[in-house]
Amino acid sequence: MDFLFNWLANIPPFAVPYALAALGLMICEKSGVLNLGAEGFLLVGALAGVGAILSAGASPAAALGIAMLATAALSLLFAVMVIALRVNQVISGLAIVFLAQGLTSLLGRTQGWTSRSFSGMPRIEIPWLSDLPWVGRILFSQDPVFYLTLVLIVFAAWALRNTHVGMRLRSVGENPEAADAAGIPVALYRFGAVVLGAALMGLAGGYLTVVISNIWVDNITGGRGWIVIALVIFARWQPLAALAGAVLFGGIEAVIPRLAATGFWVPQHFLLMLPYLLTLGVMVWSSLARRGRGGGPAALGDPFLREERR
Amino acid sequence: MTEAQDLPGRAAAAPATGRRRGRWPHLALEVRQHMPGPQQALMLGASLVAGIAISTLVLVAAGVPAGNLLDEFVISIFTRPRNLANVLVYTAPLVIVGLAAAVAFRARFWNIGIEGQMIFGAIGATLIANHDIGPEGARLYLMAATAAFAGMVWMLVPALLKLRLEVNEIISTLLLNYVAFNFLLFLLYGPWKDPQSAFPHSKMYDAAERLTRIGFFNVDTSIYLAFALAVGCFLLLVVSRFGFLLNFVHANPKMARAMGVRVAVLVLSAALVSAALAGVAGFVISAGIDNRMTQSFFVGYGFSGILIGFLARNNPVLVVFFAALIAVLMVAGQGLQVFYQIPSSMVLLIQAIIVICAAASEFLIRYRLRLVR
Repeated sequence: MDFLFNWLANIPPFAVPYALAALGLMICEKSGVLNLGAEGFLLVGALAGVGAILSAGASPAAALGIAMLATAALSLLFAVMVIALRVNQVISGLAIVFLAQGLTSLLGRTQGWTSRSFSGMPRIEIPWLSDLPWVGRILFSQDPVFYLTLVLIVFAAWALRNTHVGMRLRSVGENPEAADAAGIPVALYRFGAVVLGAALMGLAGGYLTVVISNIWVDNITGGRGWIVIALVIFARWQPLAALAGAVLFGGIEAVIPRLAATGFWVPQHFLLMLPYLLTLGVMVWSSLARRGRGGGPAALGDPFLREERR
Repeated sequence: MTEAQDLPGRAAAAPATGRRRGRWPHLALEVRQHMPGPQQALMLGASLVAGIAISTLVLVAAGVPAGNLLDEFVISIFTRPRNLANVLVYTAPLVIVGLAAAVAFRARFWNIGIEGQMIFGAIGATLIANHDIGPEGARLYLMAATAAFAGMVWMLVPALLKLRLEVNEIISTLLLNYVAFNFLLFLLYGPWKDPQSAFPHSKMYDAAERLTRIGFFNVDTSIYLAFALAVGCFLLLVVSRFGFLLNFVHANPKMARAMGVRVAVLVLSAALVSAALAGVAGFVISAGIDNRMTQSFFVGYGFSGILIGFLARNNPVLVVFFAALIAVLMVAGQGLQVFYQIPSSMVLLIQAIIVICAAASEFLIRYRLRLVR
C-alpha cells in the first residue's frame, strides 16, 4: 500500500515534462511542421535553466523563463530552415538535435555548469486541500509548474477548437493551399507555432533540471524528446489525450527507482529499457488501432510554397 | 529566361494577398527546373566553406588562437605521418557507417539506429571472441560475419514494423539505440566484464581476434575492408539491377509499386544491408581500434554516418571522400582537446553546423531569388 501511494505521489513531477513537451510539439505539428528536434529543444531548455541559476543567480521561476526564451531563440533557426528555406523537415529536425547536443555539452563544460548541484523549486502546499488523505499529497502538494501545466493543457484543448487563432492554425496544418486562398498567412502561423511550441518544450526541459534533477550532465534528457514524439502520435494530436499519455510515461519512469529499491530481481539496465520499449509498444498499438496517421494534420511534413502549388 | 517562367502559379500571377506586391521592389522566389551537376557541386562546396567559416568563429570564441587553426587542421595532419595514420584509422569505420546511411536513405528508409546496430555488431563479434568459436585462422571472418548478422537482427524489428504496420522508423530505430545501449551496459557491468580491470569493458581480444596492422603506424586492415565495402556498395547502388530499382523507389514509391516493383522487399533488403554495414562498423572499431568492446566505442558514429550519407547524396564514392573529411575533423578535435582543453563535443557541434549549412544550400539549388521592381 505504501509502495502504491509513494508511487502515485511521485508521478506528477515525472509526468509534467512529458505533458509540457507534448503540448509544445503538438502546437508546432498542428501547423503542419514536423518537429523531430524535440530532444534538442529539451536539452537547450534544460541547460539554459541551469546556467541562469548557476551563473546569473536567477530564481527557479526566472530560470524557467530563461529556459523558454533560449529555446525559442534556437527555434528561430529551425523555423528559418523549414519555413523560409524549405529544407527537408526530417533533416532539419535531426540537425537541431545534434546542434543542441554539441552546443549544450560544450557550454556545460566551458562554463563549468556540468555536475554542479543547486537548490531547485520548492513545492507549494495548497492550504486545506493538501491535508486531504491520499489525494492531498498526490495532487495538492506539488510544485507550481504542475498546476500551470494543467491549466495550459486545458486552455490549449479549448483554444484549438474554439478560437479564431486555433482554428486557423489547424487549417494551416490540414490544407495550407486552402488556408492561403482564404487569406491566412501560412508562413506566419507556422513561424508562430514553431516558436511557441519550442518555448513550451524549453519549459519542459528547464523543469527537468531546475525542478527535478537540480543538476546538469550531458544528454540529461535521455531520449525523452523522442518519447514525446511517439506520445503525440499516440495522443492523436489531442492535448487532453497527451496528458493521459504523459501520466502513463511518468508512471513508468516513477516506478523504475521504486522497483529497484524493493530489491525486485531484474538487472537495473533492463528496468532502464522500459520507457523505450513501452514507447515502441505504444507506437505499435497506435498503428494497430489504425491510428498511425489518424488524427494527424494532413499536411504534416509538407513545406508550403505558393509558387509550387499543386 | 528559362521555361520556369512560363509555369502557372508564378509569384506575379498569384492572388494579391501580399499588399506590397507589385508596388515596391521585392524578392520573388522562383522554382528552378534543374540545376546542372557541376553547379550543384559548387553550391555544396560553397556551403561547406560557409560551415567551416562559422565553425572557425566558434573555435576562436572558445579560445583557440585563430593563427593556430590552420596548423591544427591541415599542417599537423599532412606533415606528421602519425596524425595521417590516425586519420586513416578513423576513416575506416566512418566510411562504413556512411555507406550504411547511404544505402538506407536510398530506399527512403531513415535508419537513425546505426549506433544500436553497431552495438549489436560488436556484441556479436565479442561473443565469438569470448568463446573462441571457430579455428583461429577463420576467427576474424567469423567475427565480422556475426557482427553483420547481429546488426541485421537488430534491424529486423523496426524494418518489419515499418513495412507491415507503418510504424515510423525514425523513432523506432532511435528508441532501440537506447535499448541496445542499456543491454551493452548490462553485459559490460555483468557477465562480460573484464575481471582484471576496474573499468566496464570486455576482456582483451586474443591476437588472432585483432585486425592486423598494415605497417603504417596503427593503421589496420579495416581500411582495406572499408574501401572494398565502398566498391561493393557502388556496384550494388549504381551498377546492379537492385540499385536501379532502388532509385525508382527513391524517386517515386507509388509509381514503382504501380509498375510492379516489389517495393517492400527492396526497402527491407536495403534496411538489412544498412544494418549489416553498421554491425561491421562496430566490429571494426572493437577489433581494430580498441581490441575489446568498450561502453562508448560507438558514440558519435551514428550522427557522423547520417551526415556523411547526406553530404555524399547517398553516393558510395563520395562517401569515402566525406568520411575522410570527418576523420580529419575528429583527429584535429583530439588535438584541440589536448592542447587547448576544447571538449570533444566541439566536433559534434562543428558537424551540426556543417550539416545545417549544407541543408540550407539545397534552397539555392532548388529555388532562385529574383528582385522584382
